Amino acid sequence: MKISVNKGLSIVLIIIAAGYLIMAYQLPEYIFVPVDADLVPKLLGYALLILSIFFFFSKDIDTDEQKAKRVIPKNDFFILLGILAMILLYITVLEVIGFVIMTALFIIASSRFLGYKNWTVLLLTSLLFAGSAYSLFNYGLAIRLPAGILPF
Amino acid sequence: MFDGILQGFQVAFSWEAIMFVFLGVLLGTIIGMIPGLGPISAIAIMIPITYGMDPTIALVMMAGVYYGSMYGGSTSSILLNAPGVAGTVAASFDGYPMAQQGKAGKALAISAIASFVGGTVSVILLMLFAPMLASVAILFGPPEYFALMLLGLTAIASLSEGSTIKALISAVLGFMIVTIGIDSQTGTSRFTFGSVNLLDGIDFLIIALGVFALAEVCFLILNRKQKMKGLSNIGSLKLSKQDIKEMKGPLTRQSFLGFILGVLPGAGATISSFVAYISEKKLAKNPDEFGKGSIKGLTGPETANNAATSGAFVPLLSLGIPGSGTTAVMLGAFLVLGVQPGPLLMTENPTVFWGVIASMYIGNIFLLILNLPLIPYFVKILKVPRPLLISLVIVSSLVGVYAVSFSTFDLYLLVIFGILGYLMRIFAFPAAPFILAFILGGMMEQALRQSLTISGGSWSIFYTSPLTMFLFIIMIIALVVPAWRDRIRRKKEEAKVKKY
Repeated sequence: MKISVNKGLSIVLIIIAAGYLIMAYQLPEYIFVPVDADLVPKLLGYALLILSIFFFFSKDIDTDEQKAKRVIPKNDFFILLGILAMILLYITVLEVIGFVIMTALFIIASSRFLGYKNWTVLLLTSLLFAGSAYSLFNYGLAIRLPAGILPF
Repeated sequence: MFDGILQGFQVAFSWEAIMFVFLGVLLGTIIGMIPGLGPISAIAIMIPITYGMDPTIALVMMAGVYYGSMYGGSTSSILLNAPGVAGTVAASFDGYPMAQQGKAGKALAISAIASFVGGTVSVILLMLFAPMLASVAILFGPPEYFALMLLGLTAIASLSEGSTIKALISAVLGFMIVTIGIDSQTGTSRFTFGSVNLLDGIDFLIIALGVFALAEVCFLILNRKQKMKGLSNIGSLKLSKQDIKEMKGPLTRQSFLGFILGVLPGAGATISSFVAYISEKKLAKNPDEFGKGSIKGLTGPETANNAATSGAFVPLLSLGIPGSGTTAVMLGAFLVLGVQPGPLLMTENPTVFWGVIASMYIGNIFLLILNLPLIPYFVKILKVPRPLLISLVIVSSLVGVYAVSFSTFDLYLLVIFGILGYLMRIFAFPAAPFILAFILGGMMEQALRQSLTISGGSWSIFYTSPLTMFLFIIMIIALVVPAWRDRIRRKKEEAKVKKY
């Protein structure tokens, strides 16, 4: 039996609510505390559970516009995944390599990956952005961004 | 109070405030112009830049970013029919047809003047009403505050676009995220899965930048090949006497109406601009002109959405309770800077309270000065290549979060919330109730637990106070009426389908 998207979503939400409630019931209770830390989580868990059940049985129509939003061409899907991979790589090596190098590299790589071809503009923008953001935070706002392998 | 106002104007007229208002309005306009990026993303992206700044000056700048981005959104609505934010959708109904008729310059000039008038009138009203509401709110106790916040949350959920039930689910999920971390009252660690990184909870900037900015980036990537048509020649900016005569009515009416709707929780710029469009169409002698480039059809929504922007500051400044997703992020900005908005702000920190309000006069003047002569140059921003723009928005979001926490763990969380925000968009779960619940959640839990502590655990505290009862009744009406109206509309549609 094929279920509708909204029914599928409501099942996922019911599972989340159930999991959240189980964890909420495991929170410790203290005798001398008038209102414990588990009160709000329990209320929220039940609220999500009830709303999800209502959602399951509601006549919320999946419009054509919504359906169109969910259809991603295969090529675009891989581009989204590619950008995601680049972001994850950026985060992983940011503190090792440093902000300036990684940011400039990210801007160049992602822009090229998305189809931008003008190297001069790309190099200028990436270096200017990375350099000015680093200077603004490190010297202007006294927020230390990772220098990494660079000496300054 | 007059001393406070005077103090506020002293702050607003300092060279530092003038410079940062200008910067805020300019950057807000630029970010707001980028299709897909609205005021929430604009404010969230700008927050890290305010670290270490004087809170008053920083907030004056953030307010400039807020109304600057509203105006910027109108520009992309008029020129590209691509509103950056729901509040400027109505501007495209008549603004875009005008642009297509070669009158883009005129449409942008109307939008700038309407924004200026709406913004300025509503700042005057804000000066009058915010202190009044603050003096009443000072009498509120935890049960009243809890009821008020719950009302704000349900109102935004029931007035959100699309399904009310999805909006309510979105709000509950936002609230659930706040419960992660150490409970401030008992020290219990909740939903941290043993991770030290989650003990302090999740920073609101991660949510704001993830659910809004990064999620929008996904759509920018998908639409990266979209051509920017109609940007080559915007035509003359001059308005004739007849044009100005036509603008007068909507300017006056919608400044007041927009302000009132902006004050109400959940309504804000989107509803006020649609109400303005509909009411102007009903009042017009030639309603057929609407949708084909009507001056009234553009002036009305543009006046109203800017008036609503200042109106939304009334509950934010005087109650400390935001009525929309954007003001929720503004509240976050206040809290990051160590300023707690609320009824005591006016007396305890009059410089901030009146400084922010007084700066809005200057901000609106800057908006007009910036946007009339510089419109042709601003339009060039829309020509920035999409791939480059996408990369810069991603990096700005990552830097913003890293600058708060210095933790790569938070950057991974940002990515997770970006994916969540994207999924919410494609499955039509509105994101505004999510962020509002996230911002209000901590305060709501505190108010609820304080109330129950006062009453010794008895829930009767919520139905023995007349004000709390009144707020709960309005909340029920806010929930039931739209649902009932939707039901009737659906039945009518079903009946129509059956008929054919």
